[in-house]
Amino acid sequence: MISSYFGGLLIMISIYLILALSLQLALGFCGLFNLGFVGFYAIGAYASALLALSGQPFWFCLLTAALVPTIFAYILSTATNKLKGDYLALATMGFSFVIYAVTLNWIGLTKGPLGLPGIPRPQFWGIDFNNDTNFLILSALIAILTYLILHKIASSPFGKTLEAIRDDELAAKSLGKKTATAKSLALMISAFFAGIAGCLLASYLSYIDPTSFMFVNLIPILTIVVIGGLASLPGTVFATIIIVLLPEPLRFIGLPSSLIGPGRQLLYALFLLLILLYKPKGFYGKVELE
Amino acid sequence: MMGIDLSCFSQNIKEKSSLFIQIFINGLVAGAIYALIASGFSLIYSTNKFVHFAHGTVAVWGGYLLYWFYSLLGLDFWLAAVLTIISTAIIGFLLNLLFYKPLRKRKSSSSILLIASVGLLILLESLIQIFFGNNVKTIGFVQSRTGISIAGGLITPLQIITIISAVILFIFLTWFMNKTKTGKAMRAVADNKDVAEIVGISAEKIYTWSFVVGSAIAGLAGILITLEYNLTPTMGTNLMIKGFAGAIIGGIGSVPGAIAGSFFLGLVEKFGIWFLPSGFQDAIAFIILFIFLLFKSTGLFTVKKEATK
Repeated sequence: MISSYFGGLLIMISIYLILALSLQLALGFCGLFNLGFVGFYAIGAYASALLALSGQPFWFCLLTAALVPTIFAYILSTATNKLKGDYLALATMGFSFVIYAVTLNWIGLTKGPLGLPGIPRPQFWGIDFNNDTNFLILSALIAILTYLILHKIASSPFGKTLEAIRDDELAAKSLGKKTATAKSLALMISAFFAGIAGCLLASYLSYIDPTSFMFVNLIPILTIVVIGGLASLPGTVFATIIIVLLPEPLRFIGLPSSLIGPGRQLLYALFLLLILLYKPKGFYGKVELE
Repeated sequence: MMGIDLSCFSQNIKEKSSLFIQIFINGLVAGAIYALIASGFSLIYSTNKFVHFAHGTVAVWGGYLLYWFYSLLGLDFWLAAVLTIISTAIIGFLLNLLFYKPLRKRKSSSSILLIASVGLLILLESLIQIFFGNNVKTIGFVQSRTGISIAGGLITPLQIITIISAVILFIFLTWFMNKTKTGKAMRAVADNKDVAEIVGISAEKIYTWSFVVGSAIAGLAGILITLEYNLTPTMGTNLMIKGFAGAIIGGIGSVPGAIAGSFFLGLVEKFGIWFLPSGFQDAIAFIILFIFLLFKSTGLFTVKKEATK
């Protein structure tokens, strides 16, 4: 038996790995500055939580949690396809704020700031996932599967097209690549996996509220992608482990509990800035953002 | 019977119209505050050409510094206000010197600078939480809340001061950008950095200047926000989005445009919550921002095409 503390950490590593890998596809491979990423995570978490609370089976919750954000990503990418750089970043950031405002204010659906408690853990094939070890195996399996799928995508011709778009969209276009479609697909795949991570988070914590999906929550994920290095999947795994474990010592040095949250953020922000200043390609990255 | 009906009707109209005036006033006040954020932001953006996300949080730092100087140290209010503006100017100077300048030296792209500014936003925000705590702060300088009645709507003296500050700032900035040497150099760098450098303007100096002036304006905004509303550590992101939305609506890179756009945003937002629950006030700004980004990314007052370049 793994102690529940380390089990919990490993589950969080799996969830963050899925998130970081999917942001990696949009930002690292395709160069899409998607600051609305947390919005997809939120939609996935709320969709699966609401379905699970109404007694739907886990596979159905997971599937919906993946597909609903994908649809939103399709709409968002269609709307923002022409925007680039700073403007795309701001528009997608606006998206995540709108989603946050909805989770906070649509009381009838989301119970607003009170959040949704009592989300059941999955149960299938006679396995009870209320046991943390079983849940860890499930989330680790999903994280590994995500890695393999994204690795497959990244090394496919489609993945090469994405990298071409990141490096020079005009050149990719002039070679006959449908860049708009490719960018849209990248965003949709990214949202698909973000939704899955949201579903795992909701059923792991058995409680979600809007604060988990504030813009600030993008920082650890973004830091992972930058530290691991753009377009580097093994780097992402390495960086995820570091970033999830990095603030853990804060728990043990006797900091007042009100300082732990800000302290963690401070650490992430400093780490992000230092990497940008001194190791801009991250630890395993091959490219720098244009 | 007719008479009673009519009087009810006119009563209703009167209430509606005074509500209208009240919302209009609230919109102007919000717009004035957004304009202060947007003009500083726009100043920095026009010369530096990247989104300085931490700008809103610099304004929040201004608010907390005022709280520190005035409420905790007990300084005279006007002295505290001047110290606040100087301090935020120094914060802007340091952010540029310690983070953006080394990044620029390494020829980092504007995307990298944008990620760095998101990092700085979180850094400044968590420092506020660590130094001042998470709870809401009020400063209590303006005791009297009695308003002056204008056509059925109430406006407090502070709100009048806020609007006047925005107008004065608008005049000052127009003068600064058009008449002073530094202002002209800023416009030159904003227009074409390489040509400006050829005629002997140091771009690096201008970047520093725009951070100092922009952050000083943010400090003024912080003071007015603190007097008008309450202080919370995380309000910076929201302010920044409002400022950015104002700047986009008015036409990014144009300081007068940013001010006009901000007033427009303030009004639309306040009239929006006439129909929607007030929690959606922030969402309204994003939706307007979104609409402008998609359909009129050049804003109302500029002709250059930037967003898809």
